[in-house]
Amino acid sequence: MGGVTLIAESGTRRGRQSAIRIFAQEYSESSLIERGVGEFDPSFVITKLGAKVNRCLVCGGLERMERRDGDSGPFYRGQIRDPSGTHYFDVAPFQPELHPDAEELLARFETGDSILVSIVGRQKSNESEDGGIFTSIRAESFTEIDLGSYKSWMVEAADATLRRLDAYAASQGAELTEEGFRNAGIPEDLVAGLMKAREHYSEFDTEAYKVWILKAFSRALGRTEESSEVSINSDSGLVEKAPIQATESADPRDVILGFLTSNRGDMVEYDSLVGACTSAGSSREEAEDAIEHLKDVTKEISEPRFGFFSVSS
Amino acid sequence: MNDNMKYANQIAVVKQECPEADEGEIGKEFARYESDFLIPPEDALRSVIRKFQAATGVEVSTNAATATPVREEKKVQRFSELGADDRNVTIEVAVISYTPRTQMVRGEEKRIAFGWIEDNPWEASSERIRWDYKDWGNKGETMTPGSVVRLEGASVNEWNDKRSININRTTRVTVLKEGGGSAPPAGSEPLTIARASEVEGFVSIVGRVLSAKPDVIVRKDGSGEIPIVRGKISDSSGSIGFLSWKEFEHEIGALVKIVGASVRKFRETPEIQINDGTVIEAYHDTSFPEVSELVESEKVSIADLRNGMRDVAITLQIESWAQRTFEAQDGNSRVVRSGDVMDPTGRCRLTAWCDFDPKPGDSIRVEGGRVQFWQGSPDLVIDNVDQVSSLSDAPWEKIDPENHWVEVDLTSITQGGSRRGISTTGTIVAINSGSGIIERCPDCRRMLRDGSCSEHGSQRGEEDLRLRFVLDNGVSNANLFLGKEPAEKFLGMNMEDVKSEISSIGKETFVSNLRSRVLARKMAVHGRCAIDGQGAMLFADRVEIVEPKPAEEAEEVMQRWEVSL
Repeated sequence: MGGVTLIAESGTRRGRQSAIRIFAQEYSESSLIERGVGEFDPSFVITKLGAKVNRCLVCGGLERMERRDGDSGPFYRGQIRDPSGTHYFDVAPFQPELHPDAEELLARFETGDSILVSIVGRQKSNESEDGGIFTSIRAESFTEIDLGSYKSWMVEAADATLRRLDAYAASQGAELTEEGFRNAGIPEDLVAGLMKAREHYSEFDTEAYKVWILKAFSRALGRTEESSEVSINSDSGLVEKAPIQATESADPRDVILGFLTSNRGDMVEYDSLVGACTSAGSSREEAEDAIEHLKDVTKEISEPRFGFFSVSS
Repeated sequence: MNDNMKYANQIAVVKQECPEADEGEIGKEFARYESDFLIPPEDALRSVIRKFQAATGVEVSTNAATATPVREEKKVQRFSELGADDRNVTIEVAVISYTPRTQMVRGEEKRIAFGWIEDNPWEASSERIRWDYKDWGNKGETMTPGSVVRLEGASVNEWNDKRSININRTTRVTVLKEGGGSAPPAGSEPLTIARASEVEGFVSIVGRVLSAKPDVIVRKDGSGEIPIVRGKISDSSGSIGFLSWKEFEHEIGALVKIVGASVRKFRETPEIQINDGTVIEAYHDTSFPEVSELVESEKVSIADLRNGMRDVAITLQIESWAQRTFEAQDGNSRVVRSGDVMDPTGRCRLTAWCDFDPKPGDSIRVEGGRVQFWQGSPDLVIDNVDQVSSLSDAPWEKIDPENHWVEVDLTSITQGGSRRGISTTGTIVAINSGSGIIERCPDCRRMLRDGSCSEHGSQRGEEDLRLRFVLDNGVSNANLFLGKEPAEKFLGMNMEDVKSEISSIGKETFVSNLRSRVLARKMAVHGRCAIDGQGAMLFADRVEIVEPKPAEEAEEVMQRWEVSL
């Protein structure tokens, strides 16, 4: 009778957590961690859009890879870049079965080849002294993939992000209860996470998400100049030299130079330059890197007044 | 009103305990309690009995053999503190279940009830001990499942080394916490049948009787048969099988309200149990759907079959058919016929314990079939040839068995039941250990670990090839198994080649190569699925890597979300 089933249900092993398809930006913006109570309870990173990430499937261009030696043995650290930003991952010392593959990937990376990687991993988060949350991924398995698979993943991740954006929009008008969310048509797998996200995060603008979703689509459709793919398929070593530029569709440096030139030497504010880049499809981080690069490395632009830029004469 | 009539029930109880006592005196005593102390007769029962036991010396005369004086109250927290012959026990318990039953006691029909109670009711159920109890005192009003009660004056019963609690007429039951569990208490608003199927516990429903047939349950200990009635009741939300432990006199088509029936699960199928405490009454609602309408919506397809279903009506196309003779336990030889059947939602097995010989391609209609499980998939069973009829016209365009795979989304698979003949897609996110060459126990086919079977000990294993993946679509996932043949086909080499490759490059490299071939790739799977409490398992007949078509996929997703560049 009743009691027996209850016990059986609570005693049932949890099912495996599905791998959330997620772009780097959504994951890295997360600051809400739900830690499992019991020893075998899963922990989650809960994103602003309500994705409860315990396991994820991410792809991108390998931007950095290194081996380090820690107290408990060697481990590996790396970064992969997708249209939205960077995922940080590591291969832990207690995963020796992955070390041969990690070693191989490292060797490939060190030759300067541009490599596309797919990673299945578990959420990981560290809290800094000032309370900041840094999310990363502990790889469970990874492999090099071809361009077609990468594009296909971008479409899946875009699909999953749009689904969450849709649920987020639906949650705006809904009563803040699980029942209210269900009535608003929010899919079952997002109800709990979205509820916690709405309670934790303040209101935010979802437009930024759409920028990299569109970027992902245009890459998948092959509509943009395939600068990323060109660099990725060539052995030019572009990735290492200028990783930011290498994976971008519209080079933020060109955007900045074009913008300043069209202003005929008039000074332009820092934020306007960043804005121009982001509306051209770059992330804020990339825009900032590009400004720094043009100012300090190539010296094509100068900063006559703090925060205002013009083309170097 | 005369006290004796007013308190007739209570007086009868007291008389049972103290036959010598005068009825008039007893009645006066109850009246005194009610008027002077404002104590209702039910609650005064114990005190009155005690008084008359003392007054008439009944205790001594009737219980002389045991010479038990009125026992001191024994107040305990846990069942473990109780001895086998403790009487007058006070304990707080959680009521888990309450099942009323009419039972013959010394030639007299008595209403009793039995069920489960748990001690330590304020703690999590893992901290509790569960005992059986019997209610001899008609405490159904207070012993509602889900509530916490204090029992005063209960006693311990020990039989066959198993202890249980007796709740007697004189036991006082005080509700400390009302039962507010998953199921509403009897007598509350009726639920739709769809909703009632999701709860466990007591419910009330309104529905039309679709079938009702007398049946018997044979006691396992061979002590006889219990007559029951099985049937099906339906409303516009669905239907549910019922099992009545008492007479069920409503005809097929009758609209009834059933109050206080319990919902239990038989295998994976919920069932309404009607027992002595359940009230069934005729119900009037002219807008309630007629039998014909309900029967129409009642038709199921293969995808709907669940283990334990009864009274299944379904249309099928025969794919294959065979018969087999075997020797039954009683030494007689019996014939069983079985085969594969299909409908547009998939395929399953059909077993006939009767003289039924269809030909492949025939369309048939089954009424009143039952579903059991065979190797983790539904097996539809007919016991009588009357349950099946041949259809002259095929209900659908003939299905080609060579190419009959029903496309099912991975999430629907994980939320549905076990079924065969399905295909689905997902992304491979893991290669599980035990992929490659394994050794199986020659007796039970289990995989050997370190040359040893968990059942049969050390064994000389038989080599086999197997691949285990995890298929994932971002929302749901399933374990995917490829046996020898699908694995050979997928790898493009036979088991011997796989063996020699592994011995030359090593198991790790083999798995690593496999990983770079399948990880993060989309895979289409054709086969069957089995669903249990642990999740979904897919057993592949065939798999193939789906080549990415990013442009097409992007167009489709952009259309879905109305995004344009």
